[in-house]
Amino acid sequence: MGFLFALPAAIYMLVFIGYPMIQNIILSFKNVDVYTFAQPANQKFVGLQNYIELFVSGNSILTKAIINTLVFTVGSIFFQFIIGFALALLFNKKFPGCSFFRGVTMISWLLPVTVAGLLFKFMFASSGGIINQFLVALHILDKPMDWLLQPKSAMVAIIVANIWIGIPFNMMLLITGLTTIPSDVYESCNLDGANKVQTLFWVTIPMIKPAIMSVLTLGFVYTFKVFDLVWVMTKGGPINSTELVSTYAYRLSFEEFQFSKGAAAANVLFLILLVVGIFYIKLINEEEEIM
Amino acid sequence: MKLKKMLAAVLSCAMAFGMLAGSVSAEEAKKSVVIWDYFETDAQKEMMQTLIDGFNSSQEEYTASHVYVPFADYEKQLTLGIASGELPDLVILDGCGMASFIQLGLFGDISDADINWDEYIPGPLESTMMDGKHYGIPFATNCTALYYNKDMFDEAGIAYPDENTTWDDFREMAKALTKDGVYGFGNAATNTDEGTFQCLQWLYTAGGSYTDIEGGIDAYKLMQEMIEEGSWTKECVNWTQSDVNNNFMAGNLAMQQNGPWQIPGIEANAPDLNYGVTVLPKRDADSGQATSILGGENMGVVNKEDMSGAKAFLQYYDQTDVMVEAMKLYGSYPPKTEAAKDSYWTDDPIQKAFLTQIETSIPRGPSASWPSYSSAIQTGFQEVMTSAKTPEQAAADTQAAVDAVE
Repeated sequence: MGFLFALPAAIYMLVFIGYPMIQNIILSFKNVDVYTFAQPANQKFVGLQNYIELFVSGNSILTKAIINTLVFTVGSIFFQFIIGFALALLFNKKFPGCSFFRGVTMISWLLPVTVAGLLFKFMFASSGGIINQFLVALHILDKPMDWLLQPKSAMVAIIVANIWIGIPFNMMLLITGLTTIPSDVYESCNLDGANKVQTLFWVTIPMIKPAIMSVLTLGFVYTFKVFDLVWVMTKGGPINSTELVSTYAYRLSFEEFQFSKGAAAANVLFLILLVVGIFYIKLINEEEEIM
Repeated sequence: MKLKKMLAAVLSCAMAFGMLAGSVSAEEAKKSVVIWDYFETDAQKEMMQTLIDGFNSSQEEYTASHVYVPFADYEKQLTLGIASGELPDLVILDGCGMASFIQLGLFGDISDADINWDEYIPGPLESTMMDGKHYGIPFATNCTALYYNKDMFDEAGIAYPDENTTWDDFREMAKALTKDGVYGFGNAATNTDEGTFQCLQWLYTAGGSYTDIEGGIDAYKLMQEMIEEGSWTKECVNWTQSDVNNNFMAGNLAMQQNGPWQIPGIEANAPDLNYGVTVLPKRDADSGQATSILGGENMGVVNKEDMSGAKAFLQYYDQTDVMVEAMKLYGSYPPKTEAAKDSYWTDDPIQKAFLTQIETSIPRGPSASWPSYSSAIQTGFQEVMTSAKTPEQAAADTQAAVDAVE
């Protein structure tokens, strides 16, 4: 009987997740491109050739894209987490207007990513962008900076935009974690004479460790496959400096019509996330055992 | 998140059923001809509506209608359409993308249609063909040329650029006009094919081609030197053609490279702008007129069992007077040699400059692998323009990247 209840979910998984995934894996081992797409007779299995070409070719954009994606993900999560955690601690205190301000900080999470991307594109514009005007007015910069035009600063710009988008996600999950800490724990800290910093590092953080691990792994998965933000802000440029694995896979498939190579790049992304996913599931199971 | 996804799925199902219902009711009366386009400006929409109204009242058998698909999604939608079968009867698309889609099997052979093939300009017509077969007709043709702000030239006491202007003259002009937030020159060098479309011209004029990057290394040198001097704006690596034109209209550029489709926008938004247009600067005094890159759209007939409606529309458009009227509204040129000689264009010095430039314009490719070439070529231009590499290094690397394209 138990299996019958699981059947709808199993069918859904097979049709909408399993089938496309398997198709994509098969596609990545074939030679489907602009020349063979319309001629199934000329489509054949080429083994790992697509993967090899993507990694080995003289100036491998995929290798660069993986490094870019890692830089982007680690940079984003590091700051998202710290700022999100600070805000979570703040909003965990009760003060007048607390829930109103907590609601306001959610705006960046509710805004469609494309809209946020466009906003940041305008704000980072070299001439007339508000960020340059601000920094010049404060004499932090002597002259406007070409944020989106130079390879290094373009990466900084997309990370900043993504941090802004991701803060509420970190904050909300951490607040939920904080509310699970019983208040008598803090009372006993007070009695024992622990100061604020000690309480934070020896009580709060260890007690919400499960929430922290969830935020970090889920955040990693969400950030690693970001596409729309980067596509709107830089389209992967200049000179592939903000090309992520997701944008590169899209470019290969839908701009260059190299469908098999695009599928291979997407699978590389999937493989990396699979490892993180397994790590996450293992973590959850361990915690359940403890509890 | 889950809820959002479910909502999206429900909505898209509803939309799909809506479309089905629509096409069924149209079929009861006349056979429908659905056209996809990415036209955005009011003038372009008016042109499409005029064409469709004209076609619908010219015969009894078919009813044409058009669907707008955003340009950014256009090729993706076509590719997905090939896989899913949800396609219109006719597609208006960028000329350089046609070869890829013929190869992908999107378009059907219409060589038997009653079209005056030999009246078309060879370059654009070639882009609608593969292996001697016709898959559509050119819709509009154009190219980029050099716009200049007359007031800025007068103020600086410099003579306007003309057909004798060489790269050296151009560089001097741009340098002299650069001051107080005004750049001497700007073009579109964004990392899409839109950038390739504008930048490739310099490579050809220098003696290179899309497969011979090293032969055009002088273009790389010119770009890098002018950008380092500040007379060619470095912002162009993020600019689309509209961005370039907006800056030209706002008086931030003394000269711009752009196409004739910007003229209606300039007339509407900056009616007082005192500007002229001439051919792009040539390599040196002894060389011929600069090469420009052909732009414009083609109409391709989607491969279906019954392509009669689409062919009827092409035959309607094939009439020179229909084509001329449509192109006057569109701000581009008819792809027929004779049709382009209409006094509407030849009597206007600005339009005439573009027609002169078209004479030495060449198509991109045509190659089914054009998108891969384009991406490799544009990376090279961006490397030079951001001074990430020396011209020599960039030329060697780009040559290798181009050679690697099958």
